[in-house]
Amino acid sequence: MMKILVVDDEESIRLLYKEELEEEGFVVEVAKDGLEALEQVPLFQPDLITLDIKMPGLNGIETLKRIRETERQLPIVMCSAYGEYKQDLTTWASDAYVVKCADLTELKKTIRRLLRLL
Amino acid sequence: MMSVLHPDGYDLLKKTIELSSSSLPIETKLERMLESAKESFQSNRSLHLGPETIVKGGFLSRVAERREPLWVDEAFPFQEGEVLAGERDLLCPAFTCLPLSEEALFHGIFYLGFERNRRFSQGEMDLLLLLAKEMGMALRNDRLHRAAEETASELNALHEMGKAVSSALKMEELLELIVNTGLKILKARGGVLRVEKGRPGDLAVRSGVGEYHRNPIDERIARRVLFSQTPLSLFRSGKEKPFVSLLCAPLVFKGRGIGTLTFYDKESDPSRFDERDLQLLATMANQMSCAIENATTQGQIASMAEDHERRVRQLSTLWELNKALLTTVHFERIVHMTLTAITIGDGLGFNRAMLFLVNEKDHALQGTMAVGPDNAEEAGKIWSSLSQKKGSPSELAAQIQSSTDNHSILNHIVKEIQIPLGHEQCILSRTVLVGKPFNIRVPHDQEEWLQTRCERGCHIGSEVGCYVSEHLSRNPNVYAFATVPLWGKGKVIGVILVDNLYNQKPITDEDIHYLTMFSGQAGLAIENVLLYRNLNEVHRQLKEAQTFLVHQEKMAALGELSTSVAHEIRNPLVSIGGFTRRLDRSLPDDAAEKRYTRTIVKEVERVEKILSDVLTYTHEGGTNRKELDLREVMEESLSMISDGLSNGEIELAKEFSEEVPGVKGDPYQLKQVFFNLVSNACESMDGKGKLSIRIHPIFKNGFPFVRVEVEDTGAGIDPENLHHIFNPFYSTKDKRLGLGLPIIHKIVTSHQGQIEVNNHPGRSVTFSLTFPAQEEKQR
Repeated sequence: MMKILVVDDEESIRLLYKEELEEEGFVVEVAKDGLEALEQVPLFQPDLITLDIKMPGLNGIETLKRIRETERQLPIVMCSAYGEYKQDLTTWASDAYVVKCADLTELKKTIRRLLRLL
Repeated sequence: MMSVLHPDGYDLLKKTIELSSSSLPIETKLERMLESAKESFQSNRSLHLGPETIVKGGFLSRVAERREPLWVDEAFPFQEGEVLAGERDLLCPAFTCLPLSEEALFHGIFYLGFERNRRFSQGEMDLLLLLAKEMGMALRNDRLHRAAEETASELNALHEMGKAVSSALKMEELLELIVNTGLKILKARGGVLRVEKGRPGDLAVRSGVGEYHRNPIDERIARRVLFSQTPLSLFRSGKEKPFVSLLCAPLVFKGRGIGTLTFYDKESDPSRFDERDLQLLATMANQMSCAIENATTQGQIASMAEDHERRVRQLSTLWELNKALLTTVHFERIVHMTLTAITIGDGLGFNRAMLFLVNEKDHALQGTMAVGPDNAEEAGKIWSSLSQKKGSPSELAAQIQSSTDNHSILNHIVKEIQIPLGHEQCILSRTVLVGKPFNIRVPHDQEEWLQTRCERGCHIGSEVGCYVSEHLSRNPNVYAFATVPLWGKGKVIGVILVDNLYNQKPITDEDIHYLTMFSGQAGLAIENVLLYRNLNEVHRQLKEAQTFLVHQEKMAALGELSTSVAHEIRNPLVSIGGFTRRLDRSLPDDAAEKRYTRTIVKEVERVEKILSDVLTYTHEGGTNRKELDLREVMEESLSMISDGLSNGEIELAKEFSEEVPGVKGDPYQLKQVFFNLVSNACESMDGKGKLSIRIHPIFKNGFPFVRVEVEDTGAGIDPENLHHIFNPFYSTKDKRLGLGLPIIHKIVTSHQGQIEVNNHPGRSVTFSLTFPAQEEKQR
């Protein structure tokens, strides 16, 4: 079973993503900020990470850079309420960028594509 | 020896003396004296031989010369050769010739002839000598009487002339009086008075009686007399000549010849003026010179006074118009008033006036307006109506001010004219360039005319300028006009062209002077109006810009607010929507609550759409370009990666010029470009080396640019890949290198920029970005 790490500072989002993705058949672990995510990655060894950008402490972009230092091939999906970061070159080190939306179809499709499940 | 008196001697003597003292005319006196002598002496012939009948070389002339009586009674005392043919008739058996002389005067000879021989007794001789003496006395008295009469009449005429001199007669009347008085005094048949006119030595006939002066020789004689300042008397005997005799005297005032006075043909027969006439004329001429000069001066003063009065009226009108000009801000009206002031009679009185204004943008003279009649007929109508419409200058100004209709053909033509200021040969552009008036008189010779041709080769003088001549064909050889620069504050803003096409009145330098004076005022007024108009325009633009800016500002604030609100709402909305969907799915299809959940899902979707629209409008999607300082953008990019720089051993060298012009661009995109370039550089150096960043202004082809250089001391780029680094479909082994550069390239080129790579494999690589700088704001 594929493992997904959901990183978001909003608890309700973490809960929603976890339930929705588990329903899709993934094993889901959550982290509430960048630092927690960095701790989780070696322990949980996810197959994919969804990463929020605006977070207190270590933000998504810094977290992305830090994860990339070790995990060059790990697919990372940036999830943000801010559409403008899509053009931010710092997020280009990620594999996909999804603007947060109540309808999670787009996110789920992206995850499946990156995990070559389609 | 005792003298025996003639038997009737006493009676004869008495009768002769009576006759002599009678008031009879001299001819009758002489006739009767001769008759009584003839009777008394029983002579056959008694004659009075006048001095003019005595021919030289004969015996009569000897009597005349010697002033001695000749008695012939026995033997003829002369040789054959001493008697002239005309005198033979007088030779008879006995005769006497007694000279009638008295002191220096000689009045002729008293002749008494007898058909038979006789001897003159001493008494007879004494009696005859007494008779001769009495006859001489009578002749002398008569001559004296006549001379006295003549002198009296001359004096009278001179007195009349003198009166004329002292009275302020008009010039023409005075000249007529001079000629007529001269005719009377000199008893001439014709007379002419000439006065110097124009060039020195040129004479013009001012007054004359008879046709004598029409002879061209006559004028030559007059010129000669004027030149020599000496009176001249001529006598011609030829009958075919127009005059038989002539007297001409110069009119000299203070040593300067001012004219001549000539008289022709004495009424007496034969016509011949004597020395006395010449003297008389000279005296008359001297006296009259003064009078003529006085009259001339009087005339000049009068004309100056008239001129002065006219100028005062003109100035008064112009002053009123100026006042009106300064209170008007309507451009068309002000120009129309200016040109009308130049053309009306009580203004400057030119026939036509045209205005050309400098168009600085096109560097050309633009025809603006023309005022004046389109043809001579119209001109006549206007002038006659104007002369009836007399009013005070202020009324006139008000009248001009109120009428602004100008539909003349000339106005239309002038408005079409545009003359490049570079055409220095064109008199209009030359007026602007030189800033001086030009008075183009009708040229006298070809050379002068050539100077008034422009580059196009047409006659500038032929009409308004070379361009108008194409519309109105005028004979260029008789066209005179003047141009005056229109001065604004310190610069020429246009040209006024004036002419007198219809009345052909010459344009004087004084006219130009007044026109220049007036146009100086008008120029300022016109410039003021233009400035006022510009000011209004700029004011309107500023207002528009201000409204636009306020709107922009509002939109920016609104955008900022809505962006932050939208972001804040998005997260909870995701949860609400997401969980509602979950709830919806968990509910059985027939559950009544499904209606509620679906409504929530739909409404959340609607809100998300609204948020997305708001964000797209305010920031996302489109680029947001504004003027940027690339140094600031670079600093922001560096701050994003300062962590990577500070903890490593990368030496950062920044070289930013003090003065860097702004660049128009999207701050977000450019920040990413710089960020990526710097990140790439840092990574290529593996955290060790020197990073140089330079920003400075440059000029390419005369245009300003800003150049940004990022140089690292890393491994550089494999030459094999160098040509493909900007190709988005080409992937290299180095993933990072391949990711960013195509997008950097796309962003830079979308900013009209250029990107260059200076690659030294294994040593260094420099990326140079060049962006067009914002032009300096116009003043």
